[in-house]
Amino acid sequence: MSLARIFEEYPERRYIMYGGKGGLGKTTFSAATAYWLAKQGYRVLVFSVDPQASLTDIFEQDIFGKGPVEIMPNLFAQEIDADRHIQEYQEEIRAKIREMYGFEEVPEEIESYIQAAAAEPAMEESAIFDKVVDIIVGGEYDYYIYDLVPLGHALYYLSMASVYDEWIEKITTLREEMQEYAQVAAILERKDETEEDQILAELQDIRYRINTSSSILTDNEKTAFFFVIIPEEMALVDTQKAATKFAEFDVPLIGYIVNRVLPAELADEDIPPYLENRIGMQKEYLAKIDKLFGDEVLARVPEFERDITGLDMIARMAETMFGGEGT
Amino acid sequence: MTEEERQGILKRIGGSVKEFLYGMAGHDMTRYALKTRGSMEHLFILITMGDLLGVPILPPYYSLRLLPYVVPQISTWKRRMLRERDLTDALA
Repeated sequence: MSLARIFEEYPERRYIMYGGKGGLGKTTFSAATAYWLAKQGYRVLVFSVDPQASLTDIFEQDIFGKGPVEIMPNLFAQEIDADRHIQEYQEEIRAKIREMYGFEEVPEEIESYIQAAAAEPAMEESAIFDKVVDIIVGGEYDYYIYDLVPLGHALYYLSMASVYDEWIEKITTLREEMQEYAQVAAILERKDETEEDQILAELQDIRYRINTSSSILTDNEKTAFFFVIIPEEMALVDTQKAATKFAEFDVPLIGYIVNRVLPAELADEDIPPYLENRIGMQKEYLAKIDKLFGDEVLARVPEFERDITGLDMIARMAETMFGGEGT
Repeated sequence: MTEEERQGILKRIGGSVKEFLYGMAGHDMTRYALKTRGSMEHLFILITMGDLLGVPILPPYYSLRLLPYVVPQISTWKRRMLRERDLTDALA
């Protein structure tokens, strides 16, 4: 089955993820897919959480930390600046504390906690996680294309959803139980109403958001995950390992796209042995890939004569991947 | 004092005693419910803000979001946590 047909036959799959080892072409494929869909009139957001994101490079436009930036009609790109997001968030919390209690300044003990919490490595991860939840729950676009971080890290992010899911579930349950005790006391004291528990309200909101996003990302009908591979030993071994792990987290794996395939026609020309060897090696691995993944190989994308940057090259890539600009 | 009057007084006394006892028990239950809730409150803060005491907690992004609501409790909570021997006592 071709890549274009997957999109045409499953129009409900509006969350698209490209995963794979670093440097194999995740960003390129993300950008090209976004381009192809936008050309068909869909409103598309392609986003990345990688602090070393390459969307800025591929679109040749600085978009880091600038929110969704319109690259061309219908095509928006966003790179999340986690540090800035955390700083803004800290300030939000401070402002809330000052406002709630009428403080001039946040008490020292609390302030040092806010600073310490932001310095933890887990802070950046959970902030990024929440930002992705924000984007996914937002629902302003027809398609969301998630340019994932390299394999190991991506697994970590995806597994966070299920860990947080459990965490929030337990805490919210505890808080709900507390609310029950408060209600019992209120009834015994013959009060008509229990004070609204604001913490419980916050928790329920967080739970709703985490549940929603993690259920979208593991939903076979809404999400499509594609692995990017190249015809080389290392990439193959790593991808196979990762595929098993991804399956454990219920990631809806749809198929594989082979990148950097040297054009086979080259072999007929007068080429140096170096290139001849490489073509021979690739041929071997391509056969192996076909044997391993069979129908799940959705496209073979050739090595281009130059790197893919700028809309013209992205358009060429989209044409190679999907065959024409669609209808 | 007629027999009827005497019975009326006894009835009133009996009713008061009944209400009194009921009030005692009810009040106790109320206090118990509130005390349990109070203990759970501390347990809750420990779970969400534990890193204030050095207990590693995840995920910090969401604990910060709850922080404004527990600001007034932070100092009493820390005192209580350092005093309490066994956390499960608080829940018993």
